[in-house]
Amino acid sequence: MTEEPVVRIDNVSKSFLSEDKLVSVLQNVSFNVGKEFLCIVGPSGCGKSTLLRMIDGLDRPSQGSVYFHGKPVEGPTPMMGMVFQTFALIPWKTVLENVEMGLAWVRITDEDRLKRSEKFIQDVGLDGFEASYPKELSGGMKQRVGIARALALEPEVLLMDEPFSSLDALTAEGLRKEVLEIWSNPQFSTNSVIMVTHNVQEAVSMADTVIVMSPRPGKVIDNVRIEMDRPRDQRDPRFYDYVDRIISKIS
Amino acid sequence: MDLALALQLDAMDPGLNPANLPYFAARSLLRLTLAFGLSLGFALAYGIAAAMSRRASHVLLPVLDVLQSVPVLGFLPVVFIFILTRVPGDSGKELASVILIFTAMVWAMTFAVISGINQIPNDIKEASKAYGVTRSRYLRQVVLPAVYPELIWGCILAWGGAWYFIPVEEYVSFGTTTNVHLPGLGFFIAQAAAQSRLDSAILGLVAMVLVIVAINRIVWRPLVARTEKYRYESTGGQRGFHARHGKLRSSLLKYEGRLATPIVSFFKYEKMNLSSFLETVPRVHVPPKVRERLSRIFLVTRVIVIIGFLGLMVLVIFFLENSPIPTIQAALNQIQSFQPIPNCTDCLSGFPLLAYSTASSLFRLLAAYLIALGWTLLAGIAIAMRQRLAKILIPLFDIGQSIPATALFPIVTLLILSRVASPMGTQLASIILLLTGMQWYLLFNIVGAIHNIPNDISESVSAYGVSGKRFIREILIPASFPAIISGSMQAWGGGWNATIVSEYIVTGAQQVQQVAGLGAVLVNASNAGSAGTVVIATAIVIMTSTILIINRLVWHRLLKRADRYKFES
Repeated sequence: MTEEPVVRIDNVSKSFLSEDKLVSVLQNVSFNVGKEFLCIVGPSGCGKSTLLRMIDGLDRPSQGSVYFHGKPVEGPTPMMGMVFQTFALIPWKTVLENVEMGLAWVRITDEDRLKRSEKFIQDVGLDGFEASYPKELSGGMKQRVGIARALALEPEVLLMDEPFSSLDALTAEGLRKEVLEIWSNPQFSTNSVIMVTHNVQEAVSMADTVIVMSPRPGKVIDNVRIEMDRPRDQRDPRFYDYVDRIISKIS
Repeated sequence: MDLALALQLDAMDPGLNPANLPYFAARSLLRLTLAFGLSLGFALAYGIAAAMSRRASHVLLPVLDVLQSVPVLGFLPVVFIFILTRVPGDSGKELASVILIFTAMVWAMTFAVISGINQIPNDIKEASKAYGVTRSRYLRQVVLPAVYPELIWGCILAWGGAWYFIPVEEYVSFGTTTNVHLPGLGFFIAQAAAQSRLDSAILGLVAMVLVIVAINRIVWRPLVARTEKYRYESTGGQRGFHARHGKLRSSLLKYEGRLATPIVSFFKYEKMNLSSFLETVPRVHVPPKVRERLSRIFLVTRVIVIIGFLGLMVLVIFFLENSPIPTIQAALNQIQSFQPIPNCTDCLSGFPLLAYSTASSLFRLLAAYLIALGWTLLAGIAIAMRQRLAKILIPLFDIGQSIPATALFPIVTLLILSRVASPMGTQLASIILLLTGMQWYLLFNIVGAIHNIPNDISESVSAYGVSGKRFIREILIPASFPAIISGSMQAWGGGWNATIVSEYIVTGAQQVQQVAGLGAVLVNASNAGSAGTVVIATAIVIMTSTILIINRLVWHRLLKRADRYKFES
């Protein structure tokens, strides 16, 4: 008997009613997520964000199931942390309050909650910005708050929904590196990262596994293991091969 | 042509026969359509001139600002007196009525035209210039399409405001001499209420709501559907939101557009003071210092301009009636001796009366406001927490708000006064009438704000397990704070407008029930004929100033604070 993966997506389909027509977003999607960095790549509208939300329990599949350690996902759990494309910070809460709000699940004293939030704010390099409001921060800094909020949960699975696509190219590049550094840190308690992106280079530079999805209705059309050591050199011919292979599948 | 029939109906039991309802509906609609045609022509001409010619805008925008900030219901007696003395008989009444509906419709539409033109992106303007597009082609192919979406919403707003007036205009009396009874749905309801015929009154109300709903379905909905095509792309945001809440969202947009009394435009554009007017004018650079100074003196300036404008109107009326134009001393004496109830020795009169009336109106408005805020906030939270509840409640609210509050007045009065004795009953009726004029602004602003919480935010909140009371306290209420403030401003505007019809209530057989208030002062003064015009003008100035001062002291401050509760787009 094979070992149960961390997350198992089993024949998941999703459709919804739009103006009385049934629109199919995802069709018979299955794959496993082990202790790895996994990217889901696909054109916009292929349902990859919907899939991520189903893994977190924010959305339900129309058919099939998502399993977390063999148990069907029924709603959000503190075992998973989510990073949003638009950062999803509450504008009337400070950086610290936003991170603390992420710990609503965790039953600890207020003092511990404060300490833990401060530690992760420090870890993402926002030392000194605890009392700032999101409005006062740049895009990159806002996403750092989003990441700190997710990491503070010390989740087993970190979910990221196009975390870098609202940022300018330079900021995104820097933040990508930092996320990989955090990921490679042995202290880091998270076993799996699942990241949704439409940027193939980004996926190849970061992931152990890339799940390639077709345009709507989204189906898994390829499952690519990236056998390259990190940090990966974008000028490496193998890097190009991976990118070409994925792009040729999508288009 | 129809006058003969109308007179005939007046002579007999004036048409409480349900068979007359289609005729009455047609008459009300005819009045509305005429006024709408006038408004559309005016709005396009004035709006395009104001937005496209720099020189014209210097005059047109400030004039527009003054005209639209005078509470229209306060205008009503003045306009009726003015027109009825010029054009006697029923045609004069019809004319006065159409002109009043025009004043209720036109401002929202004119501002819609201006704001539509202002939404043309600079790129497009520059591209048109760069490619040598002629002025008339620019007008046809850039300006008119840009105006279209805003204008449609402006029209819907205007019709909502106009329906609000229908019941008032079709059945008014000034003193014992002038009765304005025009055949129409509002008249039907008022007649039925005057005869204590609850069944007929409700029948009339149902007919009116049916007509309103039918017009929305047949005329406005298809036109609104086409507005998307002409909209310049705005901020993306809310991905996925549209798909999921598409239907709910479009119905909410509808409320935003339809929530209407004319005074709404007053609050919506109140911030459009002189300095921001100057900003709308292309190529004029206003130094920040000047701008700041302009906005600081604006409150006083506005009050002075309104006093000047109303003073001028009073003079015109006196002139047209060939009465001797009063000196300031004589005018003050007229105010001083004004006392609405004849032969009353211990009644207030003059300025103490005005002060007491203002306080009394304010008190009732506050009571109605608190009730409205309480229930609408609860409803908003309930809808946010239970999606299924939204499906039941939203259509109910939809019908509720489509009923013009003024059409409800006779029915509410009939119901309350027959159960609760005066003066408690009258006070209660008055507060409930104010409530009907206030509550929808709050409700739809709050519900709209809660539904506009970005998808990512509500998902992150549930992804991180914030729920229940904490969710309400830390997310829902702060998120609706800006909407509560702007809804409150609109509600108070609607409320002030409603004072005029809610403080002086004519029940069956010309029996008058009144409570102290500025609205009652206005109605009583208009009963006094031309001698009352000075008092009317004074009362309008007091009312407008009170509105402006409360705005400045309360709402503008809160609105500034509300900025931090807004989501970034």
